[in-house]
Amino acid sequence: MLFNRLRITSWLLALLLTIPVLVGLVGTLLPAFHYFPPLGELHFSLASWRALWQNDEFYSSLKLTLITGIIAPVVALWIALSLLAWGYQRAFFQKIEKLLAPILAIPHAAIAIGLLFLLSPSGWLMRLFSPWLTGFDRPPNWITVQDPYGFSLIFALVMKEMPYLLFIMLASLHAIDARKTLEVCQTLGYKRLTIWRKVLIPQLYPIIRMPIFIVIAFSLTVVDLAVVIGPNTPSTLAVTLFHWFNDPELSKRFVASAGAIALMLVIGVVMLGWELAHCALTRLTKAERSNGKRTGFTDYLLRMGVLFGLVTLFSALVSLVILPIWSLTRRWRFPDALPSSWTFDNIKRAYPILIELSSNTLIIAFSATLIACLMSALMLEIKRLTKHSENHPFDWLIYVPILLPQIGFLFGLHILLIQINLNGTLSAIIALHLMYVLPYVYLSLRGPYLAYNEDYLVQANRLTHRPWRNYFVIKLAMLKPALLTAFAIGFSVSIAQYLPTLIAGEGRYSTLTTEAVTQAASGDRKQVGSMALLQAFFPVFVFWLAHVLPPRWTRWRLALYLRLRKCYKQLPIHGQ
Amino acid sequence: MLKSLIAASLSGALLFTSLQANAQWQDTLDKAKGQTVYFNAWGGADNVNDYIRWSAKRIKEKYDVTLKQVKLTDTADAVNRVLAEKAAGKNTQGSIDLIWLNGENFRAMKENKLLYGPFSTQLPNYKKYINEQARESLTHDFGTPVDAMEAPWGMAQVIFMYDTATLKTPPKSIPELLTYAQQHPGRITYPAPPQFLGSTFLKQALYELTTDKSALTKPVSHVDFQAVTAPLWAYLDKLNKVAWRHGKVFPTDATQMIRLLDDQEIDVALSFDISSASVAIQQGNLPDSVRSYVFTKGTIGNTHFLAIPYNSSAKAGAEVVANFMLSPEAQIQKQKPTVWGDLSVLSYAKLSARQQQQFDAIPRGIATLNISELGKTLPEPDTSWVKALENEWLKRYAQ
Repeated sequence: MLFNRLRITSWLLALLLTIPVLVGLVGTLLPAFHYFPPLGELHFSLASWRALWQNDEFYSSLKLTLITGIIAPVVALWIALSLLAWGYQRAFFQKIEKLLAPILAIPHAAIAIGLLFLLSPSGWLMRLFSPWLTGFDRPPNWITVQDPYGFSLIFALVMKEMPYLLFIMLASLHAIDARKTLEVCQTLGYKRLTIWRKVLIPQLYPIIRMPIFIVIAFSLTVVDLAVVIGPNTPSTLAVTLFHWFNDPELSKRFVASAGAIALMLVIGVVMLGWELAHCALTRLTKAERSNGKRTGFTDYLLRMGVLFGLVTLFSALVSLVILPIWSLTRRWRFPDALPSSWTFDNIKRAYPILIELSSNTLIIAFSATLIACLMSALMLEIKRLTKHSENHPFDWLIYVPILLPQIGFLFGLHILLIQINLNGTLSAIIALHLMYVLPYVYLSLRGPYLAYNEDYLVQANRLTHRPWRNYFVIKLAMLKPALLTAFAIGFSVSIAQYLPTLIAGEGRYSTLTTEAVTQAASGDRKQVGSMALLQAFFPVFVFWLAHVLPPRWTRWRLALYLRLRKCYKQLPIHGQ
Repeated sequence: MLKSLIAASLSGALLFTSLQANAQWQDTLDKAKGQTVYFNAWGGADNVNDYIRWSAKRIKEKYDVTLKQVKLTDTADAVNRVLAEKAAGKNTQGSIDLIWLNGENFRAMKENKLLYGPFSTQLPNYKKYINEQARESLTHDFGTPVDAMEAPWGMAQVIFMYDTATLKTPPKSIPELLTYAQQHPGRITYPAPPQFLGSTFLKQALYELTTDKSALTKPVSHVDFQAVTAPLWAYLDKLNKVAWRHGKVFPTDATQMIRLLDDQEIDVALSFDISSASVAIQQGNLPDSVRSYVFTKGTIGNTHFLAIPYNSSAKAGAEVVANFMLSPEAQIQKQKPTVWGDLSVLSYAKLSARQQQQFDAIPRGIATLNISELGKTLPEPDTSWVKALENEWLKRYAQ
């Protein structure tokens, strides 16, 4: 009975999600085939595709996208695994773990601007060493950032993706019982890195496969970061499409839509290639992994990854430190190592509207993320019960919003919102945010949730048969780290949404992000610095909670419980 | 006798039409009362946002109309929303009442019938203070006839900025710019087209380099594009080689150019906002030794406008706002360098003596040029040139 009801619920949820996703998808598909009534185009044709094939900019952007979009996730994964293998359970590594949250919480564009300022010929690195060491009174004419090959873009992508992967890995580790494996293998004489390479990483990979795919999709589709630090002759395909969609020549959106569909296909092909590569690699290394040797030459690969990882993390940290400095800057000119005059004006500007902005932001982010968490838990529980392994449409539908360029996708959704008369409301904003939050929450939660050892729950139900209570008090409580991590990630995703907030809210609800993003539209470093602080404040706090709460939860809960009981006993009626 | 009769009846007719116009405007004012106007405008500049907030306060006091700015990162965001509303059949009660735009966005909205109007020439302040003959860009926005579908708000002209502390005599023409770049490799650049300032730079260069200036006023399809633009590409081939970062990458907009000028990566920055140097100095984004200048043969200039979407839910309110923005009070405030520094669109001759005094009394920013220093304004070429130049540039330098 319950089982059936759950199954129906799951389909209802999937349907509820399918409609907007399909509408958004169709909103991109129709113009790709030249059907677009608002511009008077009522006949299907392949003209946009022909125009796309003939557009040289498309090919050159696509090439760049493929280079950056494939190298970045490979490097990010390699470095994240290396750092994990090297640092797991080491005291120093726990300090690094604390650094991950702020990197994740800072908006992409802001961290890219920080990195740009660090590395550019007139940047901080140069300022620190000029002119006393370099002899430069003026910045040299070097190409250190925005290079045509996209190296600096890859570096920025890795800087943002590696912490995400590491964060997810740390949250999924207890699912593979890493500590015990390490102990057993170490008694057998295996070296630390070898154990990871031969035993743990192969177990970890299936759990983090989905997050890796998210990272691949992100690398291929990112706009805000690529605009700042990527090359612009040409730009990556996602940026080129963004410009086409926003082109004053409205007919350009036909080619843009076709390009968006093409990009989506490219993502599919890259992911397929990735999986094939993984299979091939597994097969090729199988003999080596089970040859019984306690060390291996490829361990050096992990060792090298650690080095790169530390450099990346250090750059990320410095890029983060730069932002608050800029937010307090009045004048800071090359080659001064620090600002020559300071001010609070940049931050003060936001004061008068801070309360309204914060409350709107928090309401939207909390509601969207909470709903996303509930939906994810429900879907995953149903998935476990019904033993549907991969086939539920839910599993791939939720990807669509983050794979398609926002402008085309949201255009379709906006029309839907107007049709059902929901446009311009807070609930519409929350609904649109949900579309973007859900995939991240679901995929962060998926691995740990499905890997949960159900025996605990079974045992609990044998002791006292209260399935609902036990579900919450035993299962969810044990999944706390994963749940809170998923919540924090979802929360920061919601906070960062600009276009969905503007479109669903029709500009009638301002959030920290709509305010900050428009202020920073000029790219003024002082404003970007203050914006990043404003925008990052709440996510950093939530990430911090997600990190701090789980290990202390039970202790604090019990302490609170004891204190309450004490108070209760001291009440006059009990005193006698 | 007959003459005076005709004169009398004529003046009577004029009086009658003006009375009728007054009554019509009164009707608009009545309708506007209590309305809320959602003004979608680029929100990247604090001084502009502050000015809009000031206007909102004055409009509320004078007309009981609430003006709310919806801050955008890109005007296209607003165009897209109107388009979506049209697609959804929402032909009334749209979410946007007023848009700040010009050039290509205006043409796109006008051509696709996304605008309400004609309205601007009927605004009392337009009739009173605008002299359409003063500037071509008042009636032709990037070559597209305005046809009263948008109300002028301010004037823009290309200006150049340089630091007097490091550069004594800045290059004052397109050929001089190349010579300077060859002597100082890596210190000259321009924003990447199709960003509008980048496209404007192309137009400026083309205007100075081409041998056939008259071709620029005709549609591209009517002239030999390759022949007319050949000198431009020959020029850019040379310039890009010695440009900032070897022409492998270009700045994205005026703000980035100002930042690069401040960082001393480049020696000359350009902007479409004549007050940008003064504003940047005031904000601490440029040293106070920076000054503006224009090319000796003039620079390209245009006008920016306010338009009302066809499905606006507060058209009367939007008209009242557009009219207020054209008032001497609002234009004087706007031109103050400490407020915004944007040039007035009003005709000086049509102002009263007192208003003229007020305009004269506006202090100038230390790095802002006055009207006479701004010199000759070059007209925008025919609107079809923008796309053609941008596409050719992308094909040659961005692939």
